[in-house]
Amino acid sequence: MKTRSDSGPVLDKGDVLLEARGLSKGFPGVWEHLILDQLDFDVRSGEVHTLLGENGAGKTVIANILSGYYEKTEGEIRVKGKLVHFRSPREGLAHGIAMVHQELMLVPAFTVAENIMVGLDAPLFSYGIAGVEKRIQRLVERYGLQVDPKARVEDLSAGQQQRVEILKVLFHEPEVLLLDEPTSLLTPSEADQLFVVLRAMADDGKGIVFISHKMREVFAVSDRVTVLKLGKTQGTCQIAETNEDELTRRTFGETVPDYMERPEVAHEELALNTIEMVPSGLEKKPNSQGISLKIRCGEIMGLAGVSGNGQTELIEAVTGLVPPASGEVWILNADMTGRTPKEFIERGVAHIPERRREIGIVEQMHVAENVVLKDYRKTPFSKNTVLRHQQISSHAEKIVEKFNALVPDLWQTECRILSGGNIQRLILGRETWRKPPVIIASHPTEGLDAKAIRHTWELFLALRAEGSAVLLVSEDLDEIMSLSDRIAVMFEGKIMGIVDGKGADREILGHWMAGGTASAA
Amino acid sequence: MELTHLWGILFISLHAMVPITLAAIGETIEESAGLFNIGLEGILLFGALAGALGAQASGSALVGLLTGMGVGALIGLVFGTISTSLRGSQLISGVGINLLALGFVALMLSVMGAPGFHSVAREVQVPLIPLGVGNLSPLVPITVAVAIGVWWLLRRTQLGIWIRAVGENPAAADVAGIRVNRVRLGAAVAAGVLAGLAGAYLSIDWFGAVTKEITAGRGFIALAIVVFSGLNPLLALLGGFIFGFFDGLATWVATYPGIKDIIPWQFVAMMPYVVTLAVVAGMIGRVRFPSALGVPYLRE
Ligand SMILES: Nc1ncnc2c1ncn2[C@@H]1O[C@H](COP(=O)(O)OP(=O)(O)OP(=O)(O)O)[C@@H](O)[C@H]1O
Ligand SMILES: [Mg+2]
Repeated sequence: MKTRSDSGPVLDKGDVLLEARGLSKGFPGVWEHLILDQLDFDVRSGEVHTLLGENGAGKTVIANILSGYYEKTEGEIRVKGKLVHFRSPREGLAHGIAMVHQELMLVPAFTVAENIMVGLDAPLFSYGIAGVEKRIQRLVERYGLQVDPKARVEDLSAGQQQRVEILKVLFHEPEVLLLDEPTSLLTPSEADQLFVVLRAMADDGKGIVFISHKMREVFAVSDRVTVLKLGKTQGTCQIAETNEDELTRRTFGETVPDYMERPEVAHEELALNTIEMVPSGLEKKPNSQGISLKIRCGEIMGLAGVSGNGQTELIEAVTGLVPPASGEVWILNADMTGRTPKEFIERGVAHIPERRREIGIVEQMHVAENVVLKDYRKTPFSKNTVLRHQQISSHAEKIVEKFNALVPDLWQTECRILSGGNIQRLILGRETWRKPPVIIASHPTEGLDAKAIRHTWELFLALRAEGSAVLLVSEDLDEIMSLSDRIAVMFEGKIMGIVDGKGADREILGHWMAGGTASAA
Repeated sequence: MELTHLWGILFISLHAMVPITLAAIGETIEESAGLFNIGLEGILLFGALAGALGAQASGSALVGLLTGMGVGALIGLVFGTISTSLRGSQLISGVGINLLALGFVALMLSVMGAPGFHSVAREVQVPLIPLGVGNLSPLVPITVAVAIGVWWLLRRTQLGIWIRAVGENPAAADVAGIRVNRVRLGAAVAAGVLAGLAGAYLSIDWFGAVTKEITAGRGFIALAIVVFSGLNPLLALLGGFIFGFFDGLATWVATYPGIKDIIPWQFVAMMPYVVTLAVVAGMIGRVRFPSALGVPYLRE
């Protein structure tokens, strides 16, 4: 365990704050097996306890149960030794247990401050927004989670929204904090800042449960690690007594390569070409200028940058979701400026979006329906406007199998109940099976476990070999550097520079990402 | 046209504004919380009958208004329960309220004497405020106050934040510790109270009688005004006044000698509805409704 601060801890270090014994959870009628099976888990004062496990292992389900969001099927939960039975998150919060959910839990139409007010325990007719804004400002300054309290949440990037989630939970001043993949949308430096916050909170005597796939993070922040596999623990150990290879093997059974070798780009034909294009929403930014991006067939272009620097707007423009404010978008030698999303799809533009639950799938629709969401009009999935069940089933089955998605039933399972990683697998399957000429992928491996990340990277390289162009938007420099043929960096709505992927200089990229103008030479 | 005519039209407009505005504001609270109640018309009708009966039984207009509100609250409670903990269909329960009201009120009216009509004695009607240029119902200033009050409640209080949060993203509200269904139930009851008050106003204030057709589609107009207002109670007040104005104008034209011979009254009577439709059609697509409107919330 780490050294303790002497600043008068509220709680004794090492005391068990939250404890689960023999915890089981089933979803009868959906899954035949138990999702959690006789699980033991605890978190102590002063520690960061990491939960590690592949997609669908049950990490989110445990956290949901411990915070009161789901009810357990069996087992005992104790808070500081006292038996509890939560029926709602409210009761969890009352016992000092708060959770940052994997999916954003924000009201998009509210400002940051209003979102935080939702959780305030204030008198009905009071309105403490000024005080909340001030307190946010203080937290922002203290923890470096930069965000404007008056900004509307829907105008923020995913990364900024994630920061709001964390701020929101800090407001509750919980004793036990559960964070379900909180770093998935943060930049590495933001993640590091978060770890400093978590460390400080642990040193104050709080217990932190941290869920992640990323080994770097696990070793950066944890005191103990519990590995989970299909609802069963594979044991808990001190971080000091294990190493990355062992953990990776225990979790996934194999390791991820750092760099993906590939042959030179073979084509000259442009797959995606933007000409002096200013995406809608960026035209008012003082520094923005026309974006001219040229991606050849069979080329992977990485787009690096801190979220909120115009990536979302750029993606909206090149997928046809929002027509650009000015300039042109060409796809495979056709001017697509101002065309509809449907025409972009028909032209062969696949889109793996960052907000997967909102625009990647229809949560209330079933798995098979989501798999053919972009193809149902075409043969063989429909004939004379009537859907052909059989064809759709066998197609969906193939995709589910190929991408190893954990899905109980194609036609009974609504997509909303799937784990985040499994939804991403379905989206990847749907968007890539036709081998589209242009793939716009935003954080394509976010939320995937190491094995699935490896498969996804291999998939992208295979598609590349067949002539697909990929625009890979990610905050994960490692991913960008190991996959991209060329790397562009975006800052405040403009492209700061483009370098070759092989042998790219991390420092230059970082410099550009921060708005610097150093040259690559 | 003489000045008194203008005053006349203004007063009729204001009186016609009251019931639709009250009902629309109640619905605004409810829709902000994510419930969609198309049973307003039915609650108005129940409120009208209850108001009349309450006023007559007690001999007091105030008790009549309170009875209307109580019955409205009760229907709101039933609707709220069905749409929250019972996870029923809001559309179907709303339609149910309308049908039940039609049948029940018609039945009661026929039981009480002259079928289809029941007049309320003047002594137990709401006393009007004499203003020199005409008599104004106290419900007019109350409606204006309610509009302002509800605007303040929704936009400037902690409770308003909670109400809007459960309408926009009930899961987010839930994990923040809000009892989603309780807030929704409360909103449904509040909406019932306001619609019940609007109904009682029809029978013991404005018309002084109960008929089967007393509501004349005002509940549906109120729904349209909610769309027009984009869930802003102050705009609902404006919408209510516009409708009221055309309603008032229609009444005036229909009765004014000379004019009523030129313009057929049926045409004029159509005006408020046509205007409402036109305005709403123009607004649709521009206003933004809560993301979780009409969707029951369940956790797992
Ligand atoms: N409400 C639900 N109803 C039915 N099944 C569910 C529900 N919630 C989760 N599951 C199932 O439980 C399993 C574990 O899901 P969970 O979300 O905990 O995975 P996870 O470990 O968090 O994975 P990921 O890394 O992809 O987020 C999945 O197979 C998922 O489909
Ligand atoms: Mg998860």
